[in-house]
Amino acid sequence: MKTEAFSILVIDEDPDRAAIVERGLVEAGYTRVSRIGTSFNLVERVQALAPDVIIIDLENPDRDTLEQMLQVSRAISRPIAMFVDQSDNSMIKAAIEAGVSAYVVDGLRQDRIRPIVEMAISRFAAFDTLRRERDDAKARLNERKLIDRAKGILMREKGLSEEQAYALLRKNAMQHNRKIYEIAQSVITAFQLEF
Amino acid sequence: MAHKLVRLGFIPLIDCALPVVARAQGFAEAENIDLHLIREMSWAAIRDKLSYGVYDAAHLLAGIPLAARMGLGGMPGQNLLVPMALGRGGNAITVSRRLYQRMLAVDPVAMKGPRGHTARALKKVIEDDRAAGRPPMSFATVFPYSSHNYELRYWLAAGGIDPDRDINMGVIAPPRMFDSLRNGWVDGYCVGEPWNQRAVFQGDGVIVALKDDIWPRSPEKVLGVHETWAKENHETLLALIAALVKAAEWVDQPENRNELAQILADESHVGAPYDIIRASLEGRPVFNQGDDPVDAPDRHVFYRYTATFPWLSQGMWLVKQMQRWGQVPATVDAAAIVRQVYRPDLYREAVKGQDVALPAKDWRIEGADNAPDRALVGPDRFLDGSVFDPQLSD
Repeated sequence: MKTEAFSILVIDEDPDRAAIVERGLVEAGYTRVSRIGTSFNLVERVQALAPDVIIIDLENPDRDTLEQMLQVSRAISRPIAMFVDQSDNSMIKAAIEAGVSAYVVDGLRQDRIRPIVEMAISRFAAFDTLRRERDDAKARLNERKLIDRAKGILMREKGLSEEQAYALLRKNAMQHNRKIYEIAQSVITAFQLEF
Repeated sequence: MAHKLVRLGFIPLIDCALPVVARAQGFAEAENIDLHLIREMSWAAIRDKLSYGVYDAAHLLAGIPLAARMGLGGMPGQNLLVPMALGRGGNAITVSRRLYQRMLAVDPVAMKGPRGHTARALKKVIEDDRAAGRPPMSFATVFPYSSHNYELRYWLAAGGIDPDRDINMGVIAPPRMFDSLRNGWVDGYCVGEPWNQRAVFQGDGVIVALKDDIWPRSPEKVLGVHETWAKENHETLLALIAALVKAAEWVDQPENRNELAQILADESHVGAPYDIIRASLEGRPVFNQGDDPVDAPDRHVFYRYTATFPWLSQGMWLVKQMQRWGQVPATVDAAAIVRQVYRPDLYREAVKGQDVALPAKDWRIEGADNAPDRALVGPDRFLDGSVFDPQLSD
């Protein structure tokens, strides 16, 4: 694996995502990767690190500060520009959809920057999938808790066994074309209302 | 008739009021628009998402569509349009308490006012710092192509300060401003409300000039749309403009300002305390913690004074400021750019037949305070009494 001499700075308020991007870049042979979270002295830190490429999450408010650096060249020793390959709108679109933006030192060849930006896009997208899966898992756990509570109520109030309580929930869900946890929620609400 | 979905991005500022009210009070719905509002924290993000069709419309700084058209900021040129303005904003210049006390000590006469000239005191503080070998102070605005940048620079330059040499000028996103002042990362800033009042209420900052003290008609936020979307959705765009103009009329009624403050205070909109938003909307800002409020009835103008009309002469002023401060080469044909971006024709078409006060022409000599159209356009005076002739022809 060849080693690229570029220094890359990853700016992200989400440390988990930054770590995933960093690891991807290092594994691809970019050894000079640093990352920072939210920082008040962004300009000084960028100056000190002198990165060739900055990867930053699209919605990061620090981007407005970086954009100032785009147009005030005296603020930094090496002027930077927003990464945009004029010939390739689809890549910009992919970056925006993945929530990535990139700034590069002026004069770097696009074909050398592309793999870095592509890596960032794929890692951001992968992180998004991971986060969605985590959220789904959390939601499923909550659903199970609802069903357990509803079963408990039915067992206590109707003298049913656990199997019978679950079968009743399931039957109702099928009859009303609803999810079991939705029926469970209705059961809980109904018994909360009866006081 | 099916409702047409319009996705609109906004930044948490008091002047996001028109889209927020268009949705909350049903003005968009009445025009058959299903208005989705998405809160953003960065101007760069909102610009990129509008440019690449993630949003159909956006609450934008007036300078952004002009800069985008000229391909500034490293983006390929984007054909963004300005079919209307979203009010005159509520900018102010706030300095840290410490800097305020120094300004007061070195030049109490200048600090007595008029507020447009308080930068004279700042100049003396800068001279003292230089003589003592102290590092230059730092000021922030919200974006390189923001009216805040040009207003702050106008105020500084009128006080004899060179913003590019005598101080550091940086950029901080609006919701982060007051924390930056509190933590001493900047000495002063120019930002829209509620981010000035917030610093005052917390005792961290003191307001030294309002936008009205610099130039009350200075362009502020606009509705931005992409030319492609505007062409393919002409009727929807006209309906959106009509809904936003109706929202502006509602917002400008004094009896609606309490409700407006409640709507804006919500975490999904501005997300700042009700009292702070209310104080600013009431036109009685507090300049310094513990002081009585000051009467500033035109602090937030959304409808009257043609506050929603996209004046070509205001667009011209912005491009000329970009040229003044070296962001744009002097050779750029400002009038050609402004005529491509600013679209008063779309505004006129959208409000046709409605009771909306319209100027006879799309441009005027700005700063002509006692011109015959004063009742229509409101007070209009640059702090140095100059006038700006956009040199446009009809």
